[in-house]
Parts: sequence; C-alpha cells; structure tokens
Amino acid sequence: MSRLTERLHRMLHADDRLDREMAAEWEEAPAGKPASLPPEEVNPDTPAEQPDWWISVPFRQGRGLRRLLVVLSVLLCVGIITVLVITAQYLPHFGQAGNPANNEVSRRYIENGMEETGAVNIVAGMILDYRAFDTLGESNVLFTAVCAVMLLLRVSADKRRSAAYQLELETDDRMYEPKNDLILRSIARLLIPCILLLGMYIILNGHLSPGGGFSGGAVMGAGLILMLNAYGFRRMERFFTIRLFRAVTVCALSFYALSKAYSFFTGANHLPSVITPGTPGMIFSAGLIPYLNISVGLVVCCTIYSLYTLFRKGDL
Amino acid sequence: MRTMLDWIRFALSAVLTVFGLFVLITATLGLFRFRYVLNRIHATALADTLAVLTILAGLALAWGFTPVSLKLLAVVAFLWLTSPVASHLIGRLEVTVNDQLPLEMQVEDSRFVSVEKEADQEVRQ
Repeated sequence: MSRLTERLHRMLHADDRLDREMAAEWEEAPAGKPASLPPEEVNPDTPAEQPDWWISVPFRQGRGLRRLLVVLSVLLCVGIITVLVITAQYLPHFGQAGNPANNEVSRRYIENGMEETGAVNIVAGMILDYRAFDTLGESNVLFTAVCAVMLLLRVSADKRRSAAYQLELETDDRMYEPKNDLILRSIARLLIPCILLLGMYIILNGHLSPGGGFSGGAVMGAGLILMLNAYGFRRMERFFTIRLFRAVTVCALSFYALSKAYSFFTGANHLPSVITPGTPGMIFSAGLIPYLNISVGLVVCCTIYSLYTLFRKGDL
Repeated sequence: MRTMLDWIRFALSAVLTVFGLFVLITATLGLFRFRYVLNRIHATALADTLAVLTILAGLALAWGFTPVSLKLLAVVAFLWLTSPVASHLIGRLEVTVNDQLPLEMQVEDSRFVSVEKEADQEVRQ
C-alpha cells in the first residue's frame, strides 16, 4: 500500500520536482549558458519500472496551466452548487396538498394518453412523447458513462505496443479462461439468435406491449456479450469496432434529438406536423415512438456491450 | 363449483411445488455446507434443473393449460440450456486454474490403476 501511495506521490509531483531542480540548476549555471536537463533515470535491465512512463505524460504540461484548470473547475463546481442550493430554497414543502405534483397531469396521461400519442403502452407514450426530454437525458447519461469508462480504462495505443503490456497480458488470468469451449459454442449458436430476436421484438413492440428501448437494448446487449464469450474477441472485432460504436451511438442520439426537436417545435407553436399518432394498436402507429425506441435500444445495446469489453480488455 | 378433478389438480401442483422447494432448500444447504467449488456445483445444479422444472410444472398445473404454461415451458427450456453450461464453464475454469487439483480432489484413474497393477505384477514375477 505504501509503495502504491509513494508511486502516486512521485507521479503527481514529478514535474514539480523537475521544475525545482531545473530552477536550482539555472541559478547555479552562469548566465547565458543553458542548464542541462537532469539525466533520465532509465535502467534497461529492469523492465518492471517501464510501465510508469506514459502515466506521467499528461502531468508534464505547464504547471501554471494545470493550476488554472484546477481553479476554474473548483469555481465551476462552487457556482453550480450555489445555483442549485438557491433554487432548492424555493421548492414547496414536502407532502402539501397544494404542491405542483398533485395536479391534472397524471389524469391527463391516463385518460387522453392513447389518443394523443397513439401508443397502447401508456408508459411508452409518457416517456417517449410527453417526457421525451427525460429519456434523451437518460440515453445521454448512458453514453456519458461509457465515455467516462473509456477515459479511465481504455488502453492507449502506446501502451498496447509496449513490451510490458504484452507481458502483463501473457501473465493475466484471462488467458486461462476456457476458450473455444465446444459446449458453450453449440449452446450459444442455438441461443444467440433467440436472444437477439427477443430483444428486437421487445424494442419494436415497445409502443404496443410492456417493453421498449431500454429493456430490449439490454437483452440484445446480453446476447452480444454471450456471443463474445463463446466466440472470442477476434471474431467480434470483425464487425463491432469502436468506429461502429461511435457511428451507431452518435447517429441514434442525434436522430433522437433532431426528431424530438422537430416535434416539440411544431407542437409548441401549433404548427401542422407530419407526425400523426395513427391508429392505436397497429405496428406502424404512435408517431415517432417506435423510431425513438429503436434509437434508444441501439444506444443501450452498444453501451452494455462496450462496458463489458472495456472492463475485460480495456478496448473495444 | 369445484369438481373432484380440480382438487386433484390442485393437490398435484401443490405436491410438485413443495417438492421443488425441498430440492431448492437442499441445494442451498449444499452450497453453504460444502467447502469446495466442484462439490458446490454438484449440489446447486439440482436447483437450476430439477427444482425449476418441478416448481414451474406445479405452477402450470395450477394455472391450467394456457399460453402462460407455454411461456413457463420456454423458461424451463431456457434454464435447462443455459445453467448446465454455466456450471460447466465454472468447473472447467476451476480445473484449468487450480494447480492443486489432484491433491484436493483425489480421483482414481482406472486406466492408471490398471497400469500400476500390471507393473506390480511384472515386478513380482
């Protein structure tokens, strides 16, 4: 434990020390003569010390810039906290009869939901039509979670090429996992199509029966994870790369945002819209809801699969 | 108005469900009492297969033969396909990773034993 903290400490203060040493040398050195850099402490005989070098790279930027960034981030946090606390002062007391929560909204959803949104599944009508902003936010939260996990866990290209990482891979326990298991493969061949079909059914039928983008996307993501475990990374990487992940999530999220922006714009301004609720109960009905379900399902599916691969391998 | 047949059906489903619960309790006991991975797998495999089958069959009997019982059948099929595979993978991982396996699990290899006996006999002769 103490070794770890020591290493962290050294890592964090590496360039402070470097600055101090350089300043001291600068003072000692006669004017006009450039100070020599301290010799690099590289010992080729000990490859165990090698993995540290890429960690300290981001910390070698200017000290002033880093301090400025720290001050700015603290100021931003304090500002947001202040605004939230001030807003919380205006909230009504909990449990009062006259609170805004006890209003006509829920009755309107229950009574007019089907004819206004066209969705038989009233929950789908609520989360993807009346309150579509919330669902967009939820999809974005998932996307942001993957971005954060990628920031933390993704192995950089430099590191992947380094010999130390290759050594680590070879000594890793994951290499001992049962691979090319015949039993798992034959069962997976049977089950994966069923699982993916069930996920698609849940997504496409989201406005007609219980289900929707989130649950169906989770089922499809589980199917992809099963496929990965049965057939290995190399086969999955043939079609599921980080490029595909990026394209699918960004396209789905921007389609969601643009189409809902259109419908909110026309709805708020009482303009005629090309989106109609249609006949409730038909598969092509409920306006935008099936398409929004599809995009949410795609985002969730890709997110779950890539979270799994990031935690297992550090890459997509 | 309940007929005799209804009562028989109810009794059958109750017996099946109670038997399934008994198997589940046995499996849980085994999970906590056994000390070794492979023994635990052996004990809990009962819960995934036999207990699930009997409990869901009891439910299907109690509910009558409707589309719901078809769904229950699908659940049984899914669990019977997946959970033995999961147990197999856990067991295989244990066998792959554990270096001390021959010490912890003394399995008598019949081929090896017969070869040893032959060697013994040769030595005696």
